[in-house]
Amino acid sequence: MTGATIDHLVSVTVFLVAILLFISLFNQTVQTAIIYQRHRALATKCSDLLDNMMLNPGIPAEWGRSNCTPTGFGLQDPEFTQYKLSPFSLMRLQSTGGQPIYYPKTGLYYSNITMGFGNFLLVPFTEAINYSLTSKLLGTNGTYGFQLTLSPVITVSVVESQAKNPLRISVSVSGTGFPLANAELSYCFITVSLSGGEGAYPAYVIDSGTVYTDEEGSALLEFADVNSENVSYAFIAYAHLNGLVGVGYHERVSSENQYVIPLIDNIAEKRVLIAHSYDIHYYGPPVAEIAYNASFVILTEDFTLREVPLDNSTGSTGKVNYGEGYPYSVITIPTYNPGILIVTYRKSAVEGGVVMMPWGLSSMAFPVTFGADPTGQEWVATDMRQVIVNGIAYQAKLALWSLEDYQVMG
Amino acid sequence: MMRTVEVLLVIIIITGAFIIASFFAVLPSPRQVSPVNLRRLALTTLQALDQEHDLSEAAFDTDNATLWSRLQIALSASLPPNAIYNLTVFEVGGGGTELYTPLRSVSNAENLGVASDSSSYLVASSNVTFNVIPEKIGERGGGGTLYILNCSDANGWWITGYTAQSLAEDLYKLLSPYFVSTVMVQNTTQLERVLNKTALQGETVQNAVVINTCGEAVPMPAGYYASTGVGYDSVHSSYARYCYVLGLRVRQYNWTWVSIVGYPLYYVGNAALFPNEQNSWGIYGMRQVGPAGMNGFLQGLNNEQYTYDNTWITGDSDSDSRLASVHLTPEAVYYCNYYGIYPSPYHTATRALPSSILSRYNLTVTSYVFEQVGTWIASAVFRHGVSGSFLALGLTRTPDIRLTALSLLCDFKPRLYRSDYTAIGTSRLVVLQLGLVGGV
Repeated sequence: MTGATIDHLVSVTVFLVAILLFISLFNQTVQTAIIYQRHRALATKCSDLLDNMMLNPGIPAEWGRSNCTPTGFGLQDPEFTQYKLSPFSLMRLQSTGGQPIYYPKTGLYYSNITMGFGNFLLVPFTEAINYSLTSKLLGTNGTYGFQLTLSPVITVSVVESQAKNPLRISVSVSGTGFPLANAELSYCFITVSLSGGEGAYPAYVIDSGTVYTDEEGSALLEFADVNSENVSYAFIAYAHLNGLVGVGYHERVSSENQYVIPLIDNIAEKRVLIAHSYDIHYYGPPVAEIAYNASFVILTEDFTLREVPLDNSTGSTGKVNYGEGYPYSVITIPTYNPGILIVTYRKSAVEGGVVMMPWGLSSMAFPVTFGADPTGQEWVATDMRQVIVNGIAYQAKLALWSLEDYQVMG
Repeated sequence: MMRTVEVLLVIIIITGAFIIASFFAVLPSPRQVSPVNLRRLALTTLQALDQEHDLSEAAFDTDNATLWSRLQIALSASLPPNAIYNLTVFEVGGGGTELYTPLRSVSNAENLGVASDSSSYLVASSNVTFNVIPEKIGERGGGGTLYILNCSDANGWWITGYTAQSLAEDLYKLLSPYFVSTVMVQNTTQLERVLNKTALQGETVQNAVVINTCGEAVPMPAGYYASTGVGYDSVHSSYARYCYVLGLRVRQYNWTWVSIVGYPLYYVGNAALFPNEQNSWGIYGMRQVGPAGMNGFLQGLNNEQYTYDNTWITGDSDSDSRLASVHLTPEAVYYCNYYGIYPSPYHTATRALPSSILSRYNLTVTSYVFEQVGTWIASAVFRHGVSGSFLALGLTRTPDIRLTALSLLCDFKPRLYRSDYTAIGTSRLVVLQLGLVGGV
């Protein structure tokens, strides 16, 4: 009788333990399968959301060219179909790639995309569309987090290989996975002249031409007229092959501390502020007044750069200084055609330079990163598309993650 | 002891079940769970490669090694480094038994593994001319006649830089494909016949569209329509009564009357009738009617008794500063693309009609061309509750005739039937298959 009871107790105990163990094991498998299903749903959502952003222009359709807050989010160029994005809608995205800057004279913070010295795109927060608003417009607020990255497919790197007699500039063109051999390279070379008396405005000369890259995607250009290291210049190159277009640029300046910084003021009115660098970077005295002379170039359909003259009434020349009592200057861009604002500046007869700002994100193939940081998320789905932004090839990548808390149990 | 043995047997059975279940319940790899949408990537890559029609050119020149070398370089450069591809061009309907015949293929891998996806893209030969056949306005509902007032004996006003005749020619080119018949009304005598419902070329007068190319002036036939009590208001020495009769005719014949610019019906014109009179701005052959013309027209359209009313009703930027720049409605922008007519998307409205005329004269707006600004309607098609419509483009001079065409097409919305792409040798199918290497 005792043996039977012990046998009963042992068997029931072992049975219960085994059942619990197996329930736990099966449960873990089921839970993992559910998580996998959620991940798959996340990937589908990611693809849908990316298409949703790329294939509709938003509401109103021209929100990229205005100051209004959109009531529907979309990045498609309203003048086109398919995966063609508006360079101005992209310009209005509040970039998370660079540290925002504060300009005391307007009292505003600016979304910052700066690609090396002298290449700025600074959009005030009052004009930029932030992540929070976009999340609400897309209906993902509180349920999904995302980060949208647009980066140019073609990288055109420009390096100065010899400073003078002659100036040699080496250009190398590559795609995401391959050099772009035999690509046509249209360039624009702007040299700054600092001659003239005290307070004179800088002058500039624009030279343009076309060369081809070799089998390794490289080209070497020589400019015999540059016979001094103090000559400031800007070089812009557009490379194109079979529908793929990329942009590269490079500047050399003789005044690196004191220069001018263009800041977008009002997109709808095409207004750009010209600020003294000391007002933004807070260097101390001595400070010199800087004279500037601005120009605007656009990329034509035959891939050459054409200068669009700025009337003096639009503020093409002016002077800026640092501190109280010295207001910023204002330039009005004459067109909604995407292009590049080139501002030559002169601090003294021997110091000056040139800075550039894209009007429309794609003109200088600026990348943009928009959204939240995916670091530390449990699972991030990504998807990508090849898109065209005003003729420039970009890769749009969306990273998406769920904000609903779930994890594997057991 | 037996129970323990039984339990052990049960455990063995459950363990076996778990192992067997685990064997079959294989969870997919992360790449399969959260894949890059290769199909979309392939499609967008093909679209990017064809944005300057380079892909189409290569697809129709499969023997050109240089073109294909460039295509392969561009393809390799645009795809991620871990992407492998196979691009194949097919002839569509080559005449044999196969619908698609492969012509040429390029690839950077021997095979694309098991997890690949593809997209197809149809390219057209540059030699192909595609034909578009528009639906004719009125071919199903009756009417379908377009009258363009091209009266040689009437001058225009606010059509600076153009003549009524040159505008008429442009309108003919733009709009005649969309109408069953288009009739140029060459003089005011012919206009009188039309007003009397007499066809000029066997066309249907009822339900017609009448475009006045004289701007703010309207051609007026001499004789009956200029006579006292019909077109002439002898009490106020005004031809506003003629505009009233026009309103009556628009209602009677269910016409759509089109004013292309400025204040509608502000002058009446007839070079023979007014040889020594001018419109107060030095243009002879016409006479000012003023706002009474438009008010009279609306009275006629609403079938009211004629009363002389010279009240100015339109607004400009002094009435509302936003009228300085009015923008096309989203619907109008859509139809710009549909019909391939691209006027400037914004304009200055100096003769916008007030929305109060809608209730006053029993009108509804069937199409807005420009966005309404407050209570001002810069350009729209107004339809009367019983019969008749009018299109008023209350914009400042000089008129953009494309806006007139766009406005009418926005309102009637004739469909465009585009020709098929299936003719042999005119289309080729490009298929891009993508796979990924590396990773899990």
